Amino acid sequence: MRAEPGLWSGRLALGWLIAGEWRFHPARFLVTAVAIAVGVALGFAVHLVNGSALASFDSAVRGVNGSADLSVKATSRLGFDERLYPRVALAAGVAEASPVVQLEARIGTARVTLLGLDILRAAAVTPTLIGVRPRGSDADGAAVFDEASVFLSRAALERSGAKLGAVVTAAANGRAVPLRIAGTLPGVADGSAVAVIDIAAAQWRFDRIGRLDRIDVKVADRPAADAALARMMPGDAVISTAQAQSLQGDALSRAYRVNLDMLALVALLTGGFLVYSAQSLSVVRRQRAFALLRTLGMPRGGVVAAVVAEGVAIGVIGSGIGLSAGYGLAWAAVHWLGGDLGAGYFRGAGAGLVFQPWAAIGFFAIGLLAAIAGSAVPARLAARAAPAAALKNAGDVLDPRQRVAWWPAAGLLIAGGVVSLLPPVAHLPLFGFAGMALLLAGGIAGVPWFARALLAPLARGAIRTVPRQLAIRHLHGAPGEAATALCGIVASTALMIAMATMVTSFRGAVDDWLGQVLSADLYMRTNAGASFDPATRTRLAATPGVARMAFGRQLALTIAPDRPAIALVARPQRGVEDPQFVLIARADALPTGLTPIWVSEPAQRLYRWNPGEVIRLPIGGGTRFAVAGVWRDYARQGGAVLIDEADYQRLTGDTGRDEASATLLPGSDAAAVTQRLRARVSPMLRGQVDITQPAVLRRFALTLFDRSFAVTYLLEAIAILVGLAGVAATMSAQTLAREREFGMLRHLGLTRGQLGAMLATEGAIVGLTGALAGIGLGLVLAQVLIHVINPQSFNWTMDTRIPVGTLVAVAAALTGAAAVTAVLAGRRATSRSAVQSVREDW
Amino acid sequence: MADPSLLTVCALAKSVPGPRLLFGGLNLAVGAGEIVAITGESGVGKSTLLNILAGLDDADGGEVAIEGITFGGLDETARTRLRRERIGFVFQAFHILPYLTLQQNVALPLALVSPDAAAARVEAKAMLAAVGLGGRGEGYARDLSGGELQRVAIARALVHRPALILADEPTGNLDSETALRVLTLFADAARERGAAAVLVTHSDATAAIADRVLTLTTEGLVERAR
Amino acid sequence: MRVSPIVALLAAASLTASAPVPYPVVRPGIALRFPRDHGAHPLFRTEWWYVTGWLRTVDGADLGFQVTFFRSRPPTDPANPSRFAAGQVLFAHAALSDPRIGWLLHGERSARAGFGLAGAGTTDADVTIRDWRLRRYADGHWATQVAAPDFALALNFAPTKPPLPQGQGGFSRKGPQPDAASYYYSVPHLKVAGTVRRGGTSVAVTGEAWLDREWSSNYLQGDAQGWDWTGLNFDDGSALMAFRIRRKAGGTLWAGGSFRRADGTTTVLAPGDIVFRPLARWRSPVTGAVYPVKQALSVRLPDGVRRWVLTPLFAAQELDARRSGLPVYWEGAVRTAGGRGYLELTGYDRALTM
Repeated sequence: MRAEPGLWSGRLALGWLIAGEWRFHPARFLVTAVAIAVGVALGFAVHLVNGSALASFDSAVRGVNGSADLSVKATSRLGFDERLYPRVALAAGVAEASPVVQLEARIGTARVTLLGLDILRAAAVTPTLIGVRPRGSDADGAAVFDEASVFLSRAALERSGAKLGAVVTAAANGRAVPLRIAGTLPGVADGSAVAVIDIAAAQWRFDRIGRLDRIDVKVADRPAADAALARMMPGDAVISTAQAQSLQGDALSRAYRVNLDMLALVALLTGGFLVYSAQSLSVVRRQRAFALLRTLGMPRGGVVAAVVAEGVAIGVIGSGIGLSAGYGLAWAAVHWLGGDLGAGYFRGAGAGLVFQPWAAIGFFAIGLLAAIAGSAVPARLAARAAPAAALKNAGDVLDPRQRVAWWPAAGLLIAGGVVSLLPPVAHLPLFGFAGMALLLAGGIAGVPWFARALLAPLARGAIRTVPRQLAIRHLHGAPGEAATALCGIVASTALMIAMATMVTSFRGAVDDWLGQVLSADLYMRTNAGASFDPATRTRLAATPGVARMAFGRQLALTIAPDRPAIALVARPQRGVEDPQFVLIARADALPTGLTPIWVSEPAQRLYRWNPGEVIRLPIGGGTRFAVAGVWRDYARQGGAVLIDEADYQRLTGDTGRDEASATLLPGSDAAAVTQRLRARVSPMLRGQVDITQPAVLRRFALTLFDRSFAVTYLLEAIAILVGLAGVAATMSAQTLAREREFGMLRHLGLTRGQLGAMLATEGAIVGLTGALAGIGLGLVLAQVLIHVINPQSFNWTMDTRIPVGTLVAVAAALTGAAAVTAVLAGRRATSRSAVQSVREDW
Repeated sequence: MADPSLLTVCALAKSVPGPRLLFGGLNLAVGAGEIVAITGESGVGKSTLLNILAGLDDADGGEVAIEGITFGGLDETARTRLRRERIGFVFQAFHILPYLTLQQNVALPLALVSPDAAAARVEAKAMLAAVGLGGRGEGYARDLSGGELQRVAIARALVHRPALILADEPTGNLDSETALRVLTLFADAARERGAAAVLVTHSDATAAIADRVLTLTTEGLVERAR
Repeated sequence: MRVSPIVALLAAASLTASAPVPYPVVRPGIALRFPRDHGAHPLFRTEWWYVTGWLRTVDGADLGFQVTFFRSRPPTDPANPSRFAAGQVLFAHAALSDPRIGWLLHGERSARAGFGLAGAGTTDADVTIRDWRLRRYADGHWATQVAAPDFALALNFAPTKPPLPQGQGGFSRKGPQPDAASYYYSVPHLKVAGTVRRGGTSVAVTGEAWLDREWSSNYLQGDAQGWDWTGLNFDDGSALMAFRIRRKAGGTLWAGGSFRRADGTTTVLAPGDIVFRPLARWRSPVTGAVYPVKQALSVRLPDGVRRWVLTPLFAAQELDARRSGLPVYWEGAVRTAGGRGYLELTGYDRALTM
């Protein structure tokens, strides 16, 4: 303020100016503040929900892991040899080691993580996993080593619906075992469904003799333990820490969360545009007031200061409202939708909302910044105007001959295109987003040129009616003014079209892919870890009506402890054409003597497993494989690897299979065959087998898809609504500002009806221009989403599909909305007598 | 007539794009309490001259000095400060801000200098009373007639006791009877405060209240015989 | 005596276990055979090796110590082929009483037998849990190594007298019911030499210790509240063991013991021969339990009633292992006229479940 003497001393005058404006146009300020609030609320809510989901995922992981210093974990659910346990227990730097059998189990319909523990070891390493009997620790000593007792966490108890002391049946690994609920696990975090039984019972009753899934370790000397354990790791186990676990959860959903954050920021950006257009108009309207003050001796900076101060007020109010609304939204979302917003990333992890003060400060600042930036740009333009000239002229100084520069727009667009081609940063498409921002800015900068180019033929052409001619000439002559109104429309339309195009392309690709891979007539799959043993398989394959049956095994395989597990899929591949796998790349020649595997597209991108390469997988003690091809997969974001069934069995000795696809003989009735198949499964297994037809699977998959994009749709819709609100506010403000022009036109003999027609035409043209520009820009942005953001975040590729219906609907809605708004505002602007309108001083 | 003059203009020259010479070698001196009217054809550069006198526009040559201070040696900030403290303005369009009270409108020049709202209120109230609008300070522009609005404008031009008052067609929007009353008020108030006033007009009636009437030509100002 | 509360906890398991496990019944008329009976008896439900004694450091300071290994056979299904099956479970406690510290230092270990990490040999005494060990060597001397957070002991025990079978040649009754009994022998007057490490420094120590060996399948009766036990090494070479089991309602349910003179002649004490009388009580500030830490012990011997006053090395020798989910008891070094030993007081916090 020192640099501008008088600015600070003139604060009384500035205060009057701002207060007066607020008193006379409260709605304008409110609308802009709400625009900011919506953006801040969305951003903050999405961030809070994601943070809470992640926190609850973390606590779920901790709930199951019991906060050991570090763990030796099996790379797949096949586990590792239990003889590793004494070596780990006696390793240098290890204070205590607690062996664990871990199974995904069901108690009734409740999914729980079943842990087999040695209570004596767990007491020292993972005390949170120690069960407590209802009447104190020494009231009923039986349960300590009792092989029929189970301890349930609160969530497991609630979900199973059973009472303490009741006998429940736990199903896991194809076994169903009756267990008495002996007590609870008060140390396990809320929301984690965990059941604990004796380790010997777990190995025996659930067919895991000789195998362990985990060894939790309490360290005395961390470096020594790390070194000693690293030396003794077999091929099917890795050393993991709580930190690595939480990174794993983070990695799985990070791209999704970043994308949601970005969408929320888009809403905020649109809000910023709305502030920009509202403030631009307000500045234009007050140009003479500013000029007067400049003449009376207000320094140039005063204008900027006043408008920016208004921006600050809008920002503070909007961000404040936004933060509280965001918290409410987040609460509601977690409450009604669940912590993962329906995307299924954090299944089983109940979320409690965690307030994040730094995020709150961050979003407040972003909201404030958007409001200030939206105000500063028009303020600087206003301050540049010569006061003497501005005092004489009101509003836009029209010069239809003035050329509109196209090169800034072209430069920004080219820069955006180049930037979006840069590689990802830390597996995040940050340059992709930067490129989108540049493209967006370029598109908006190009709007005046585009509007002029679009209107030029119309303006030249002979137009019959006076109102339309007036409308077109007004827009053609004042492209800057039109552009202000169009900014918000173009930005929000472009982003919405981009998202819609991406989602349509994605959904179409998934639908096609499902059609290709679901070519069998019936699909069987076990749940709760049950499997089809060889005898069952022979029996099933001989079912009347079944022409061919292929069995498969699918299990999660941990490649690195801090990354999501990949899926290992074993299916018969030798000498059969397996339609489930659509190859998109194939190795020309394979190194001889190595087992071939086929990797999914995400696996290829995540681990750089290209065709022809030799890789090592942690199964069968760390075997080397040759990548024979790449297949398309939209189902497993963490990546998947396909191996021939025979190779799998040779390497792991695992004879179980958990899925099957059946091709029926022509003329067979699917329902009848389903019944027959079910009858051929042993009674114990019967409750753990699902048999479905491809149509059901397909519907289910698409429902899942839509649910995971539901929030995306919602955010998009809100962005468009903010954009439409911006259009309405801008159109009406611009129309109201032309009151005197309308008065003059009515003096000249235009009827109100003609004025209405003129305004409707203008509105429609503005809306249509915005829609066309937005759609064009949106299709460009969609290319970035489809070919940069999606592959970089989710590691899958697809072809573009244009949602023609959506495009037409959006164009129509925008055109209509703009026209209607213009007419409604025009009705207000022409309601006063023409004489009064002309006489008006301001 | 007081000497030294409050406003001294020396060899002022100005051209506009074209190029077309508006005037050259223009000299003028206005003393305290003196009212000078400048007349001339439309487009001859009367408003431009006024803008140059206010420091809002630059001359191509020559000098303007207010109380001995020349604009030529001042930067934008200093010019703004000089204008704010030593010059008052009256416009053809009254430029009374519709969203401020009349009192606030009048007090604007004071508010631009000092944040003391109470002092500004006292001064503005007295000034409004002086232009015959006592007690109407809390009203708004829409309640007033054209003549009343211009009286508010005059109050605003004088409230901070400027050395120089510049008026551009102050009665252009008023009927002749109202115009005469407003002009008389303007002249009396300026004289009473010992301010120098330059008013641009092409109305003879307006010029009649001036001490001197000058006609602007390309050669400069020519004194008109009374 | 010497039933650890932990073992009590495990012993109770059989009452509610789903599959009843046949435990051997303790009957009179056996003859103890060594070294076989120094080793474990895995079929019995519980068993322990319990060493207590007094140590003197090279600079003349007195310390008390306790090293105990328990073996338990939980009622698990013997058909379980898992290597983790809890067929045999081992526990160990170690405590150090230093009057200059004023409270017990202690540590513990526990494990299922197996994987080479824990086990109890059956041919001679050899009990291990990870790095803790108590064993007897072929030359007849015993040795133990234990490491707790605050101290570590490495002690050798050289027997100076033959083992002392308790009760009827090693058959020791614990209550009015004839099947409430254990096999029980003691080895008094073990000569101790070794080191005590605290912080980074080790001190050489010498002293005298008492070993108790007991195994059983059925212990206390339901109306027992807890017990008082003492084992005393007298300077003249004689040794006294005495216990009484307190009734929940108050009074004594059962009592027993033995007095062996230096010449080896032994008097077995009947319930009516022993009277414990509290002289001073100490209230634990941690648990609130009130212990009769100083007691007068009257024993009727053939040559008349003898009285000893048992005075604790210091009062606060309570072992609070509640953190590991275990009960609270008092296990303290005591001295008396012409001898020293240990006093154990259980069931003062609450009734011990047996």
